[in-house]
Amino acid sequence: MTFIVAMALREIRASWRRLLFFFVCIAIGVASIVAIRSLIQSVREGLTQESRAMTGADVVVRSDRPLGAPVREAVAREQATGRVGEVFESIEMATMVRPATGTTTRMVELRAVQDAFPMYGTMTLVSGQYSHRLLRDHGVLVRPELLAQLGQSVGDDLLIGTERFQIRGVIDSEPGRNLGSFSIGSRVFIDFADLPSTGLLSFGSRASYELLLQVPHPPPVPGQRDAATMLARDLSIAFVNDFVSARSYRQNEGRMSQNLTRAENYLSLVGLVVLILGGIGVSSVTRVFVQQKIRSIAILKCVGSTSRQVLAVYLAQVLLLGLAGSVLGVVIAAVALQVLPFFVGDLAALLHVQYGLTMGAVLQGMAIGLLVSVLFSVVPLLEVRNVKPSLLLRQDIPAPPRFDWLKWCVATIVAATLVGVAAWQAGSLRVGLMLSGGFVAVAFVLHLAGLALVRAVQPLRYARSFALRQAVLHVARPGNQTRIILLAVGLGTFFILGVRALEANLLQDFEVQVGENSPDMFLMDIQPAQREGVSALIDRTNGALPAPKLIPVLRARIVGVRGREVNLESFEDVRGRGGLSREFNITYRPNLEANEKLVDGTWWTGPPPEMPEVSIEESLRSRFQIQLGDEMRFDVLGRIVTARVRSFRSVDFRDFRAGGFMIVFRPGPFDTAPHTYIAAVKGAPDAMARARMQGQLVTQYPNVSVIDLREVIKTIKTIVDNVTLAVTIVGGLVLLSGTLILVGAVSMTKFRRVYEAAILKTLGASSRLIAAMLLLEYGVLGAIAGTVGALGAIALSWSVAHYALDLEWEAAPLLTIGGIVATALVVAAVGVIASLDVLRRKPLATLRAE
Amino acid sequence: MIELRGVSKTVQSGDRPLTILHPLDYTIPSGQFIAVVGPSGSGKSTLLGLLAGLDSPSTGQILIDGVDITTLSEDGLAKLRGDSIGFVFQFFHLVPSLTAFENVLIPMEIAGRRDANARARQLLNEVELTDRAHHYPSQLSGGEQQRIAIARALANDPPIVLADEPTGNLDSTTGRHIMDLLLNVRRARQATLVLVTHDAELAALADRRLVLRDGRPVPQHDTPPAVSSAQDKAEALR
Repeated sequence: MTFIVAMALREIRASWRRLLFFFVCIAIGVASIVAIRSLIQSVREGLTQESRAMTGADVVVRSDRPLGAPVREAVAREQATGRVGEVFESIEMATMVRPATGTTTRMVELRAVQDAFPMYGTMTLVSGQYSHRLLRDHGVLVRPELLAQLGQSVGDDLLIGTERFQIRGVIDSEPGRNLGSFSIGSRVFIDFADLPSTGLLSFGSRASYELLLQVPHPPPVPGQRDAATMLARDLSIAFVNDFVSARSYRQNEGRMSQNLTRAENYLSLVGLVVLILGGIGVSSVTRVFVQQKIRSIAILKCVGSTSRQVLAVYLAQVLLLGLAGSVLGVVIAAVALQVLPFFVGDLAALLHVQYGLTMGAVLQGMAIGLLVSVLFSVVPLLEVRNVKPSLLLRQDIPAPPRFDWLKWCVATIVAATLVGVAAWQAGSLRVGLMLSGGFVAVAFVLHLAGLALVRAVQPLRYARSFALRQAVLHVARPGNQTRIILLAVGLGTFFILGVRALEANLLQDFEVQVGENSPDMFLMDIQPAQREGVSALIDRTNGALPAPKLIPVLRARIVGVRGREVNLESFEDVRGRGGLSREFNITYRPNLEANEKLVDGTWWTGPPPEMPEVSIEESLRSRFQIQLGDEMRFDVLGRIVTARVRSFRSVDFRDFRAGGFMIVFRPGPFDTAPHTYIAAVKGAPDAMARARMQGQLVTQYPNVSVIDLREVIKTIKTIVDNVTLAVTIVGGLVLLSGTLILVGAVSMTKFRRVYEAAILKTLGASSRLIAAMLLLEYGVLGAIAGTVGALGAIALSWSVAHYALDLEWEAAPLLTIGGIVATALVVAAVGVIASLDVLRRKPLATLRAE
Repeated sequence: MIELRGVSKTVQSGDRPLTILHPLDYTIPSGQFIAVVGPSGSGKSTLLGLLAGLDSPSTGQILIDGVDITTLSEDGLAKLRGDSIGFVFQFFHLVPSLTAFENVLIPMEIAGRRDANARARQLLNEVELTDRAHHYPSQLSGGEQQRIAIARALANDPPIVLADEPTGNLDSTTGRHIMDLLLNVRRARQATLVLVTHDAELAALADRRLVLRDGRPVPQHDTPPAVSSAQDKAEALR
């Protein structure tokens, strides 16, 4: 044991420079895993600790419709039994606001609260503590960004609906705000009592009605659920047919924790990919290292060391290097977490979390770092068994056995363990298998493409330039590092170019959709009485642009299906089918629209039958096995309508001129029912004119909400940009690993290069010629790696655009060529810089040493 | 005692077999100094490698103190070398990444000796290289490297020392010093010494000579030595 540890330490002392990049490879991967896991674990810990404040109550009873008497009575009964303490109400809705003086409008998320708010947690204002007194008598609290957008300040008046509200404070932080959810606009608080006067709660308005319940906490009984969860469960059962949900803060905490765990696991896979790339580098270094150590291994065997002892020496060395790399990775992660707030803003303060390393993440990262170090080096290390001490007497090295069963067994165990590590990191065997399979497939394809390209450049070995001839020969010579460099650098290029190409396609598609003639504003919640007025206003302000088309909209839930393949008697049964129980926007019309295609059944013609008829979007058929002729029951504003499925349509949801509806009724049943209208409008191209039109609309029709698609696209662009940046960082890390592998490969094979260069110098080659050879060799290698990555990127962006996003794919030639050139330059520069020794060494000293 | 019974070695040369050592029967009594001589390619180093278990014979048996080493596994042979055989190479073969002291230390560490450090220092003292203990092989002269290699070969007090042209890569003066050292330590330890050499003068110092040509032993008409022991011969040569 002393011998093994002492030898391992001595070997590291002797070759640490050559192995430096070994642990840098491991360090980067471990740093990614530890930083990602620590960050999400910190956030999760912070959020779950504050889950009650986040939820805003012990139990939240929520509905998209006004809460009726049965719900209130049920809650009152629970209050009478003492299971529920304090109760208060809150309503949330999206609406438009504008300053009392000015025409700028903004969509906001309005929340009307009673004086018990907040039940848990604290709301803080920029000017200090929150008090409900600030909201009384038409007071409003807003976020700082809204003030900036509208050019207002505290004390100014805002128009919300038909009412004027005075800005009394600026929100700094708010409890119960779910940061993960998509936000349609800035948050605005008003008093619950003032909401009816705004006129916003008119028929059909999209609001979320909440009862926030406080639950007195008896001492918890071991093995039993807590009182809040029990209450939420009982209320859910009681409201099962009322489209009302009841959730406890514990359930929210569980859901939040589950979502964050999933996010943590998936994001950690990114780190694992980087680490596996590092592992590939480790494997390559180890192979070359063993080749260089053959004589020392033979000497050790000659003086009495067994193969097992020698293997143990080098495994111990790998473990020590892996440990050092993992520790370095943890240090990098700690530094990254410290500097993170400078890049992402003060998210920590917003989330009430402390960034820092978590013990779990550190232990996991180190364990994986060590595991990857050992797994990727054990197969090349097995070569030490084949080193015969007799090579000290003779130069010929006996060939290894033809079939090394132990090596194959170990390789199989290594592969299985790597799948296990991936599954462990992803928290799912399926994802682990998919990742491993994907990695093998990509590596295989890159390998084949690399092989083909190396062959393709071989005719250049007959080129007139000596340097070019030598460069091409080196790329394909035995024992080269071409494959490993192609894999590592090609993969990095593939990530970066693929994501960039996809981003370009995605944004271009949005630009096309909001083209010259397509609508770019969406009007919602238009009341029947406002139809003509709204149309006239838009016509007036839009001049020559086409008149808007108003589409009737109702909201409905499916409460039953009686069919050939599926039979759902009650809403509870429907709820068991997940997505089928959600609230749908429905419409009615006599015709198919341009963005729809009939895929089965017939469109309604002739006299209507007694039973109403409905056309369903085909995805509902495939997901829920609904068939033609099935009877579906809908709850439309409390009225139950049974309709027969007459046809299935496919809908192009990207073309929203006529809206995109999953469910379309034959005209008749709802002609006289109360409903609202929506309209897709082409606004003026000039931003001022658009703002003016929105201002006029909101002034005259305060209940109408306007979504400006150009603003939405800006938001989407920001999100896409952020996602692209994130993936580019991943690609950058992969490329960095690739570059490190390149540096490692160069330094590991340098001993051979130095010798070759010495011979060439003896034969009359100048340093400049040797530099040109190196530059061309790595340039060719970089160009091949870039081409392989670019081809992969084209394939990736095409398949994702074609199959996943259903976009028109367009090539990005500038990006592709730029990517290849940049990769070639980077690889050439890194290759030459890492080989400076080859140029500097004097030939005589080198030849003597050999 | 070392016994060779029909030991031969055949290797593949291109597409045909090449016998580099024809079947050989030979016995080396314990404590003797045997010189193996012959021209290049006569099979001397091959024979030495077979004796050390660095290579396995194509036919025959090699018995060391009655143990057939051809039946031993690789690890068994490694243990045998560690315990019983010291090997000195023409090209020294020190581990370049280790200091002189550490090179001497390795066999004792492998054998798990507790007094390894003290003994390594003592051995360095014996080869008069205490002051070079922390130098790397690349910082030592050829003669110094070979003295370190001898110290390493003697580390575990092996009863058998095998030396493959230990002076072949050194100038004559240094070579003479190395031989003195080797013979001194052999005498002090009563070890068996098998020396492969081209040098007729050196071979003349041996108790017996085994002459090989084209892988076969050449019959010798031994004349009784003029002096009684190898040590006396060495002194006579001075």
